[in-house]
Amino acid sequence: MFSGLIAFGHSIWNFVTPESLFYVFGSTLIGLVIGALPGLTATMGLALMTTLTLKMPSSQALLVLICTYVGAIYGGSRSAILLNIPGTPASAASCLDGYALARQGHAGRAMGIATSGSVLGTLIGMFFLALFTPLLGELALKFGAYEFFWLAVFGVVISGTLTGNDPLKGWMAGFLGLFVAAIGQEGIYAFDRFTFGNRDLAGGIALVPALVGAFGFAELLSVMKTHQAPVKINPFDSVIPKLVDVARHWKTILRSGCIGTFIGVVPGVGEDVAAWSSYAAAKRASKEPEMFGKGSIEGLMAAETGDNACVPGAVIPVLTLAIPGSAPAAVLMAAMLIHGVQPGPMIMVQSPQFVYDIVAMMLFATLGILFYGLTLTKLMVRVLQVPQTVMVPIILVLCTVGSFAIAGRLFDIWVMLGFGILGFILRQGNYPMAPLVLGIVLGDLLEKSLRRGLVLSDGSLAPFFTRPISLVIWVGIALIIALRFEAVRSLFRRLWPTRARAPFTAKE
Amino acid sequence: MRVDKGVSPQADFIAAWVWVGFGLAVVIAAWRMDRLESQGASLYTAPGLVPGILGAVLLLFGLLLALRAARAGGHRPRTVRRVADRHTRHVVMRVGAFLALGLVYAAGLVGRGGIPFWLATFVFVSVFILAFDWTRRRDAGQTAKGVLFAVAIGAGTAFVVSYVFQVVFLVRLP
Repeated sequence: MFSGLIAFGHSIWNFVTPESLFYVFGSTLIGLVIGALPGLTATMGLALMTTLTLKMPSSQALLVLICTYVGAIYGGSRSAILLNIPGTPASAASCLDGYALARQGHAGRAMGIATSGSVLGTLIGMFFLALFTPLLGELALKFGAYEFFWLAVFGVVISGTLTGNDPLKGWMAGFLGLFVAAIGQEGIYAFDRFTFGNRDLAGGIALVPALVGAFGFAELLSVMKTHQAPVKINPFDSVIPKLVDVARHWKTILRSGCIGTFIGVVPGVGEDVAAWSSYAAAKRASKEPEMFGKGSIEGLMAAETGDNACVPGAVIPVLTLAIPGSAPAAVLMAAMLIHGVQPGPMIMVQSPQFVYDIVAMMLFATLGILFYGLTLTKLMVRVLQVPQTVMVPIILVLCTVGSFAIAGRLFDIWVMLGFGILGFILRQGNYPMAPLVLGIVLGDLLEKSLRRGLVLSDGSLAPFFTRPISLVIWVGIALIIALRFEAVRSLFRRLWPTRARAPFTAKE
Repeated sequence: MRVDKGVSPQADFIAAWVWVGFGLAVVIAAWRMDRLESQGASLYTAPGLVPGILGAVLLLFGLLLALRAARAGGHRPRTVRRVADRHTRHVVMRVGAFLALGLVYAAGLVGRGGIPFWLATFVFVSVFILAFDWTRRRDAGQTAKGVLFAVAIGAGTAFVVSYVFQVVFLVRLP
């Protein structure tokens, strides 16, 4: 306990340098702008920042990325409140009450609530990050090839179930991602698969260009589908958070913080689901549920606390299992690998200080959003007024540079374009992007674990189904899939008339 | 299973068969893949094992989607055809024009190399702004101002991106 606190203090002290503080405030501001601008998501922002930070020392690069991540999730609330357009999908729930408050002339108060909710949410998530990472890391040491195989399947299935409107399409996107990861030379015999004799394809599909395509270029195509009307912003009052709003809703804050962190830990299920789940839970527990959607402070507080608490939550499985908790966390994990940090079960054994460094980075990011939440409102309003015709080509330039710069391969620009067009087509069919990304990230783990497990068991499938942790995970997967079928749900309802309820979905 | 209300059953039905075809192609390709028995590979380590399983799963999901869409009437052609109105045509043109410009820039100018990055970026950003802002500027009688604005943003973007990436962050540009 005390050794953890000392390590945390040490990490904080290491970052109290003018250079680090410059990076903290610079990258949080960049994150805020990225988050506030509709069409730029946290995932894409992180992918672009990964490119920019390639030549930095790893600790500074990760500091920049974490501040960008936290800033972007918070920044989405600005456009949600002022324009009724979620800057990132995470802020969709904030539109409901945030914009309603703005129309009543309380946009400043709404932004204050968003600031306090986001700051407290990140702090709650940060607390759990520090508390649970060592514990989960210890548990993860018990995981073998069989468990990691099921964990990869679980990640794709749960992400597919919870991130879109249609679980079947979510699973399809996830398994497509797993297939994409299989393109190129496989890991045991370096045998070329699905490369059609192309040498570039033999190197495989790199994650960052694919992400920039699926989240950047595809998003730009979607933005171009809708013609932007001239931005009209409601007048706003003071943005200083009111203590009474925090004190009156402390239960909502705590509940949403816990829900947000938990959703973050679940592989591939990100900030948007965290916000909706916290919002739904707050509505159920509220004394004034009828006010939700009409300018409820409780609703806005819940959504903003939930999505920001999800950020540290999503980093927990990255550090302990090398499985990203959300799409932006997948980029963060890729960045860690690029910078020579190997996340996973051994991290608490090999470099425990690194975990506390990440917690300290979260703390600095929180200070960054608090600072900008109190000061930079007018600049943000100006940023939101940048016309679409100016923003779109500049973002495409950044997407192109970002894809190329990671490995210096022109082929990666083609990957970005290909995934952009594929992502756009899939979006038109309502296929969610998060499972696709998670599939690409987890494909390698799934394949290696399955083949290694089969070799170890000499072809027997029994250990995959009988080892205790494996058993729990595959039963969980089976239940998640089975509960999506009406016949199974009605059977559950008949067996347990009052208790059987389908798991929530993002839109409920 | 809950049906996605945002997409027509007909569209899902067609997409489902694309998935089935894709899954089947992956399964066949994985089956025909070298099993490397000469190198001592067992069935469990054959390179085609995992892609084969993934292809089979995608095929199965495709069939499920086809079944679900057929139940919702997706196998029957639409009785009421959607007439492409002016708005739809406008949207298709916007997206198409953006896609064409984007591909020319990213794949043609930058992706093939040969032309300096700053020049390609300057031309792309300026042309993009001019093309998409033209009607508004013309109606407002600001064509000269519009051209100047587009050129200024194009030049600014080319300079800032080149400088920040290459000089400040030491990142190689295409």
